Amino acid sequence: MTRPRRDPRAERAALLVATGEGTRPRLDRTVRRDGGGRLRRDPRRERDGQRVPGVLRPRYDLSQVSRPEAGPVHEAPRTVQAPVPTVVVLDAPAFLVLVVPDAAGGRLTPHDRQVLGAARVLAGREGGVAILAPGTCEGSGPAGADRLVRLDDKGGDALGDCDPGGYDPAGRAALVAEAIAELSPRHVLFPESPDGGDLARRVAVRLRQPLFSDVEAVAAGSIARPAHGRRVEQRTAPGLLVTLAADAVAEYAGPPREAREIPVRIETLARAAPAILSATTIPADPATVPLGLASFVAAAGSGVTDLATFREVVAALHATPGASRVLCDAGLMPRSSQVGASGTVLAATCYVALGISGAPQHLQGVAGCEHVVAVNTDLHAAMIERAGLAIVQDAQAVMPALLRLLTQDAGPTRDAP
Amino acid sequence: MRIAVLLSAGRHPVSGAPVLPRLEAQAIRLAVGLGEAHEVVGLHAGPDAAAVAEGLGQGLARIEHLTVAAEADPVPALAARLAALAPDLILAGRRGQGGPETGLVPYGLAEALDLPLIPDVIGLAPEAADRLSLDQSLGRGARRRVILGGPVLATVHPDAPAPLAYAYGRARRGAFEPVAVAPVEVSPGLAAEAGALPAIEERPYRRRPKLVKGAPAGGSAAERLKAATGEAGASAGGRLLVQPDPDEAAREILAYLRQVGVLAAPRPTDDPR
Ligand SMILES: Cc1cc2nc3c(=O)[nH]c(=O)nc-3n(C[C@H](O)[C@H](O)[C@H](O)COP(=O)(O)OP(=O)(O)OC[C@H]3O[C@@H](n4cnc5c(N)ncnc54)[C@H](O)[C@@H]3O)c2cc1C
Repeated sequence: MTRPRRDPRAERAALLVATGEGTRPRLDRTVRRDGGGRLRRDPRRERDGQRVPGVLRPRYDLSQVSRPEAGPVHEAPRTVQAPVPTVVVLDAPAFLVLVVPDAAGGRLTPHDRQVLGAARVLAGREGGVAILAPGTCEGSGPAGADRLVRLDDKGGDALGDCDPGGYDPAGRAALVAEAIAELSPRHVLFPESPDGGDLARRVAVRLRQPLFSDVEAVAAGSIARPAHGRRVEQRTAPGLLVTLAADAVAEYAGPPREAREIPVRIETLARAAPAILSATTIPADPATVPLGLASFVAAAGSGVTDLATFREVVAALHATPGASRVLCDAGLMPRSSQVGASGTVLAATCYVALGISGAPQHLQGVAGCEHVVAVNTDLHAAMIERAGLAIVQDAQAVMPALLRLLTQDAGPTRDAP
Repeated sequence: MRIAVLLSAGRHPVSGAPVLPRLEAQAIRLAVGLGEAHEVVGLHAGPDAAAVAEGLGQGLARIEHLTVAAEADPVPALAARLAALAPDLILAGRRGQGGPETGLVPYGLAEALDLPLIPDVIGLAPEAADRLSLDQSLGRGARRRVILGGPVLATVHPDAPAPLAYAYGRARRGAFEPVAVAPVEVSPGLAAEAGALPAIEERPYRRRPKLVKGAPAGGSAAERLKAATGEAGASAGGRLLVQPDPDEAAREILAYLRQVGVLAAPRPTDDPR
């Protein structure tokens, strides 16, 4: 095959347009010259020609020829249906799967939601999931609970986690054991958290029932847990008492359930005189808590030159101090305060980054933080992009302003701590 | 005060070699750290005490060994011996290491001996009038100080002080005492139900894919990546203030921190304190 020989001179001449005082090249080259040349392709139109009419998907016929001249496919008006959340109502569950959440402060933790998800798997289509909640426990319906059993009928905090002085784990276990006896569920699931694991074991010895702890895999007919230093996996049909490891099972993702409240009658227990004389909660001291455990970290990078003010701000915020590697390498901050891949990976809920650019190694340490505040002079810093509240401003100006405001808020009679 | 530390024959998490679990070494340190005036004894129930002999080098002066068959439940033997010893404080690890790892032994013992159980202890201090103050770890550095009178069983949290260094001389000087165990009839308790247990099938451990937090179920790989790198969280699409007044910026930051809940609300100005 031979191609026609090109004549550049003629092509240039064809591009000229006549104006008042002579000729100039045509500026708009999208208009097709008459005669000759290849067709200009319009990929958008070609793709439209390859779509199945009506439905917005390409044809799966691989042998198709592209028909560039095929007109645009008439688009069926797309009926966007807002998904109507229909609450699943289970009137007579064949059996119950009871979930005993930590629900610290009346709110379900992510771990609690995972336990509800696992309970949903065990309950299947016929079974119902009941949650043994301290108080109303909002959001247990969407998390997968069909029934809600309230344990706080008598005296406000029968499950006692609001009052730090009312630390009575044995009493709580007795209460939960009573509720289990009353409801006679097929399975009872606990989160394997410090509190949940403790409660599950107390209930197990109280009911004289075996406990299958740290379950990592849940299917309808079998559950599995690691044992012998994660060398073997023990698999069995689910028994009565099960604790679920964190982050092993997905949360319930189906349509919301009704979480209907069911009453249970628990006789007031004749409580023995508690052995615990007093219990006081000592909050963590943010200045000394290890960085990896801290819940609120404020960190400085090389954009912070006034470290004395930075330390004051950290103390006033009651945050744990952190730093980027540059400051630690320079010896301005201790190595133990380095945030990032080669420092500490944070588990904090909130992170305040002052003058930190957000290098990938640094961001790895912050990946788990839910809320990030960044102060940086550079609008295009990666930290600004990552932050939930990003402030493009000089950190040296913002820090004294913060300090002033915090001192003011702390009240006139007391200096900022 | 008499203190008993429960020792288990653990396996090293990496090599599988027999070792004394770290938590129990930490328990020894807590007990020994109370001072010379207190009598500390280690207690092990099992077929062989080679692994727990390490406890002598970690600070114990004496270990009692109750010979129990490998598969047998150690709780009855331990309960009988502890009832005879009547210690004021019993320390245990949270759970065994290398065995079934259910962590039920301390709870079973507390039930058998009718003692209160305080989990996750990281510090101990004797108080006046035979009382004992125990610091419990609540995670994230917070603690709960519990004061008790009378004997108590406590489990140790990994945040407790690090174990004492192993000392060869101390290990040589320490005494090992086998204690005869009266054969215990299987009580109609936990063991009886164990017969009715559904069969447990064992296979080699298989690592499961990590659950990506916040990723929608059945989502695409791109969505999982976004969730893993934190780009899809609450901070995606956050607020951006360009060159605000520093005071304005400070107000915004404090409002954000208060909304998140990490900073206390401002103190009213007429607060008497
Ligand atoms: C193998 C390896 C591992 C690493 N591990 C880590 C690690 O674990 N942790 C870590 O942090 N780093 C680590 N790094 C270093 C990392 O790559 C970056 O160099 C470092 O994080 C940058 O720190 P920075 O943001 O403080 O400094 P810079 O990158 O210099 O950023 C300073 C930022 O401050 C801003 N700024 C300047 N002046 C002001 C002002 N007046 N007010 C407000 N903002 C201002 C600038 O705009 C800039 O964005 C590692 C590097 C390597 C090679």
